[in-house]
Amino acid sequence: MTPSRLSLSVNRRPRSIEDVPGEERLLDTLRWRLGLKGTKEGCRTGGCGACAVLVDGSCALSCLTLSHEVEGAEITTIEGVADDPVGRSVQEAFRDAGALQCGYCTPGFIVTLTGLLKEEGRSTTAEHLLSELGENLCRCTGYVAIVRAVETVHRRKH
Amino acid sequence: MAPFDLLSPRTVEEALATIRSYPADEVAVLAGGTDLLLDLDGERSAPRAVVSLRRLPWRTLGWNGPALTIGSTLPLRALETDPDLKRRLPALHEAVRAVGGVALRNRATLGGNLGRAAPASDLIPVLLVLDAEVELVGPGGARTMSVDQFVHGSRKTELGRAELIRSVRIPEARPSAYLWQRVRPANDISQLSVAVAYAPQDRSWRVALGGIPPRPVRVPEAEGVLVGTRPSIEAVKNAADRAAAHASLVTDRRASDDYRRRIAGVLLARAVRSAAARGEASP
Repeated sequence: MTPSRLSLSVNRRPRSIEDVPGEERLLDTLRWRLGLKGTKEGCRTGGCGACAVLVDGSCALSCLTLSHEVEGAEITTIEGVADDPVGRSVQEAFRDAGALQCGYCTPGFIVTLTGLLKEEGRSTTAEHLLSELGENLCRCTGYVAIVRAVETVHRRKH
Repeated sequence: MAPFDLLSPRTVEEALATIRSYPADEVAVLAGGTDLLLDLDGERSAPRAVVSLRRLPWRTLGWNGPALTIGSTLPLRALETDPDLKRRLPALHEAVRAVGGVALRNRATLGGNLGRAAPASDLIPVLLVLDAEVELVGPGGARTMSVDQFVHGSRKTELGRAELIRSVRIPEARPSAYLWQRVRPANDISQLSVAVAYAPQDRSWRVALGGIPPRPVRVPEAEGVLVGTRPSIEAVKNAADRAAAHASLVTDRRASDDYRRRIAGVLLARAVRSAAARGEASP
């Protein structure tokens, strides 16, 4: 049987949720059970990056992750990303570069970039960061400003 | 997505017994889930139970001399960031990086990619040229076979009922390269890909093509004309022509057979040059 209870830590707050069905995705648990609507549903097939969250510090697509698969993990959503100094610097760079139009893809970009920077540290290059963001889609095509934000984050780190 | 029970056994024995307790078409095995969930969501399959492998101790990576053994549930990202992989098995590093974005690779696994056996798999062509072996575990014990024997066709494998992929073993470091062609570099899958490797033990080249239905294949006709660690320009051209002539390339919605033929020759030549240069850089 699917476990009756799901225990997670979300943005450093322990959460225990009853009766989460086996087929429920982390995206839906976050948005509809916990009310964290910052994580966006884009394509729901792993092709746009809008639903990215951090699972134990590494970025993952919450639309392709079953909630029970991350039982016991520490989840960080866009709502919690600014609690981390790296996440805060990414957010500030996006703000300063005006790197958003409608804003729908922005949480996915910020969370993915935060996960990458935390993982790869100072050794990484701006070009590498941009290539890793290739799977994040912005349908306003606001990429010029997003590229500027990534370069800003990278410059400020060094 | 149709409802299912999600089961997370703690041991291999428990996992096998759980799978066997359901009729074959009512149970699915979940590794990273990045491909399976698309099927379940489209309700192309609607199992009553999904058996997760997350609690099994298979998220492993181990170098044993020149050989590399990769546990089937190791996330591709962990393989990609191994400090020795890029130098020892450059084609595998390139193929792993060709799979989705970093957020996908944090969950997708080598075992899942093999077991799902998509025709456009970026990993299978490379496993073919590296002479990788697949270790399966089932009710009758363990058995080992080549990737070529394991992959039967599009989405079809040697995996029996209640059998699981435990690990993949690559016998030795090889100068190698993997190149692909897509409409877009991201958010797309390969129209055609080429993997090449030079096997120092028997001093011969391996060539495989991917991105073509029904499955990635070795091309012995092209391998035969590549001689030595740094084949001549004429030999590379000859191999490229033979790969284009002998592989059964098809027209589908992703590309025409004629386009694939041209690309196969171009990518093969580039891949051999790249692998040969790597061989000279780290003999």
